[in-house]
Amino acid sequence: MDRKKLEDTFHRLSHPFPALLIDRILETEPGKRIRTVKGVTANEFFLPGHFPGEPIMPGVMTLEGMIQSALLLLDELHSRGKITASLEKVGRLKFKKPVVPGDRVEFQVQLISQDNPLHKFKGKALVGEGTAAEADFTIKASIREVGFEL
Amino acid sequence: MMGNRDIQKLLPHRYPFLLIDRIIEIDPGKKGVGLKNLTGNEWFFQGHSSYPPNLLLESLAQVGGVVLASKAREENPQATVQGLFAGVSEFTFQRCPVRGEQVRLKAEVLQSLSSIYKFSAEAFVGDEKIAGGQILLSFTRLSV
Repeated sequence: MDRKKLEDTFHRLSHPFPALLIDRILETEPGKRIRTVKGVTANEFFLPGHFPGEPIMPGVMTLEGMIQSALLLLDELHSRGKITASLEKVGRLKFKKPVVPGDRVEFQVQLISQDNPLHKFKGKALVGEGTAAEADFTIKASIREVGFEL
Repeated sequence: MMGNRDIQKLLPHRYPFLLIDRIIEIDPGKKGVGLKNLTGNEWFFQGHSSYPPNLLLESLAQVGGVVLASKAREENPQATVQGLFAGVSEFTFQRCPVRGEQVRLKAEVLQSLSSIYKFSAEAFVGDEKIAGGQILLSFTRLSV
């Protein structure tokens, strides 16, 4: 999927985040799991403030990468209608090691259960062989089936 | 009460990732209340009007960082410290605050185990609670 299409997807899901934190989708099993990747570079706009002279990817940005991956799965699950997706709950989130420029972060997210409108996900952020972060989170997706498909 | 300059003496965070403006109540090492104003020209508002939930978590963690760093400075004004966001548990969002609102961020230490501190963290707009749960910070003093 190209960048424009990824951006349109997040727009459709009315996701309130200005920056795309996913470079590529590696693999999708529709409705079940997704693997995506982001290369972290020293040029990220947020790194000068986190921290001056010691760039570390903010943990909440790693969380955002997992959320965006989950939204891509949701997008495929509900390909019609208008969706409003919002983060409802972070049940558990652990940051295990810092992510720094030069790292390639692989996000692995799976849909654990779906009880509309709540969708529960389990996510992991991997750098090389190691786990940088793990999370259990719930996204609320309200779907309005409107209009016709032409 | 602490202004933004005082916060910058305690936290290494800077633009665009310093996500608290002011501390209105502080009990070093125990609890603190911070403020964050949400105004239209901030970077995360491009095309949206609500504050992203992950950044709300970061704002609360920064208040926690001020609570811990102010205690360390009180004991030793030369102390160098390192705080990192270690995790979140059972945190729910009722809604995201929007442009024009002022968010009040409360963080209170519940317990600590060696360098890990567990906080109760809540965000309010006026009297309305918009999010809350627990966050974990790892905090170490690098010099004695």
